[in-house]
Amino acid sequence: MSPNAIMSSDREQVLRLRSIVMAFGRLFAVNGVDLDVAKGEHLAILGPNGAGKTTLFNVISGDLTPTRGTVMIKGVDCTSLPSRRRPRFGMARTYQKARSFPGLSVEDNLYLAVVGKRGRHLSLWRSGTDRSWREQARAAAETVWLTEELATPVSDLSHGQKRQLEIGMAVATDPDILLLDEPASGLSRGEREWLIELLSDLGADITLLLIEHDMDVALRVVDRVMVMADGQQIAAGTPSEIEHDPVVLQTYLGTGASA
Amino acid sequence: MTRQLRSPTTIAFVAVVALLVVLPAIGSSFFVNFIMTRTLILGLAAATIVFLSAYGGMVSLAQLMLFGTAGFMFGNAVLEASPRGLNLGWAPWTAVVFALAVATAIAFLLGALSSRTTGIYFLMLTLVYAVIGYNVFAQVVPISGPSGITRITPPPPITQATHLYYAALLLSIGGYVVLKLVARTPFGLALQGVRDDPVRMASLGFRVPLHRALAFTLAGFIAGVAGLLNVWWNGQIDPASIGISPTLVLLIVAVIGGISHLEGAWLGAFVYVAANSYLRALPFVDRIGITEDRFNTVIGALVLLIMVLSPEGLSGVIQRLSNEGRRRFSRFSSRDGTGRVDTSGDDAGESPVVMIDSSTSPPTEERK
Repeated sequence: MSPNAIMSSDREQVLRLRSIVMAFGRLFAVNGVDLDVAKGEHLAILGPNGAGKTTLFNVISGDLTPTRGTVMIKGVDCTSLPSRRRPRFGMARTYQKARSFPGLSVEDNLYLAVVGKRGRHLSLWRSGTDRSWREQARAAAETVWLTEELATPVSDLSHGQKRQLEIGMAVATDPDILLLDEPASGLSRGEREWLIELLSDLGADITLLLIEHDMDVALRVVDRVMVMADGQQIAAGTPSEIEHDPVVLQTYLGTGASA
Repeated sequence: MTRQLRSPTTIAFVAVVALLVVLPAIGSSFFVNFIMTRTLILGLAAATIVFLSAYGGMVSLAQLMLFGTAGFMFGNAVLEASPRGLNLGWAPWTAVVFALAVATAIAFLLGALSSRTTGIYFLMLTLVYAVIGYNVFAQVVPISGPSGITRITPPPPITQATHLYYAALLLSIGGYVVLKLVARTPFGLALQGVRDDPVRMASLGFRVPLHRALAFTLAGFIAGVAGLLNVWWNGQIDPASIGISPTLVLLIVAVIGGISHLEGAWLGAFVYVAANSYLRALPFVDRIGITEDRFNTVIGALVLLIMVLSPEGLSGVIQRLSNEGRRRFSRFSSRDGTGRVDTSGDDAGESPVVMIDSSTSPPTEERK
């Protein structure tokens, strides 16, 4: 474990990363990151463009298998487990660029998120179970203010609505571990306030990992912050500690910004 | 449900089916037993291309090979004293099950092999399957001839040409309804999700390659059914009938009709078969250089014209005309001149005008 590894309290650990290295040829996008996240904790991962935040997310969600290191989710070694197996551990994620299914309606998108977690993927019948899952999808739509758009094809949604849907698809799976990659990107001020409200109201049992460039959003909804640069962790602490950390200020604002 | 049954699409579907059911009573024998039976068979096969493309995002060139495989297998299994083929002499319906089982199994195997490819790579891989299929039947003489298998007859009770027409009609309706219904099941919705974003589907917990392979298998089964109808109609099958040129014809049929609408498969088949049969009979066409030898040139020009007018094929044209008609009807029925539809009638619930309540709209700056 690296000396400046970010460690949480004695609560149950739901996510544990050890010496994660993700190399693309000779480029080390993530280089030796350790991280422990406890159940119900809200953690922001900050850093400039190219710091390796999204790559780290991709390693956690299984979209990428790390070159070295281990990923433990709820005590199980998931390092080589493909992304499609991660929802079974209660993990859900969003992507930096909203990734939904433009040819389907909002309700069908949310329904697929529920089916993905619950099963019956190959079913050729619509049963009573489906009706309850549809209800779950509609409840998720209500959470993200998309009730009026249930029948709308996703291709007809605005950018902000697509981001709402992306979050709705993650919430619809009733996750234990929620990974949000720049959820506030492209949102208006009003929509950002809504996002802060939504994230602040997440259940105490939901663990949140958040990548966000908007410091206002990030620091208002998390308990802890990890700052990355060049694939490594450069600082860690509470939001107030990070706001005044000279290394962080230097990284974000450049030389002479130590005040 | 009542509203669904009264929708223009359902009414049009029922009207077309009703017309097709009474067609043998009002149409000529040539039109029913040649033009329409062939249209239904080609349409059913082309519908599998449309299904894979529209719902799975996979353009397959292997469907005619699976179509031909079912035909060859049926001929080998059912004949017993023919100078060609394996002459297994099985009961006709046993041969039907055998032929469909082989075509479906091959479809599953090929679908599994290509399930990790998309786009142009998938298309090329299925072209390879088509070439391999053609060469297998052209070179492995015991199962294909030599020069094809002949004297194939349909199983009882299909003893007349009209029976075959009704069999093709029934199976076309069945195939269409099944593919439409499948699209609304969890499997079908997941397939459409795979079409739109396979990476996202995987992160939601779906096995993307399995969905692709099973969709290919279902399409292979239906292509096999069409292949059986084809050998019953034709009475014979030879390797040249599943070569590259006929493979492209099936794709052209799907493109003419519109590769994003299932109905388009039968529409495209009708245009192709009708053009093939009637074009040469038109007066004076030979004087402008259109002879039987130049039929493919004419079809090529027709495809080009349809593509320029509507990239979504003939069904796209019909859809646009239908939308325009609805729009004009809505404007006509407007009373206050503001474009609002009069909702006082019986169909008020189907009004295309949606009143948006600002209190339920997504969060915006004003919401604060």
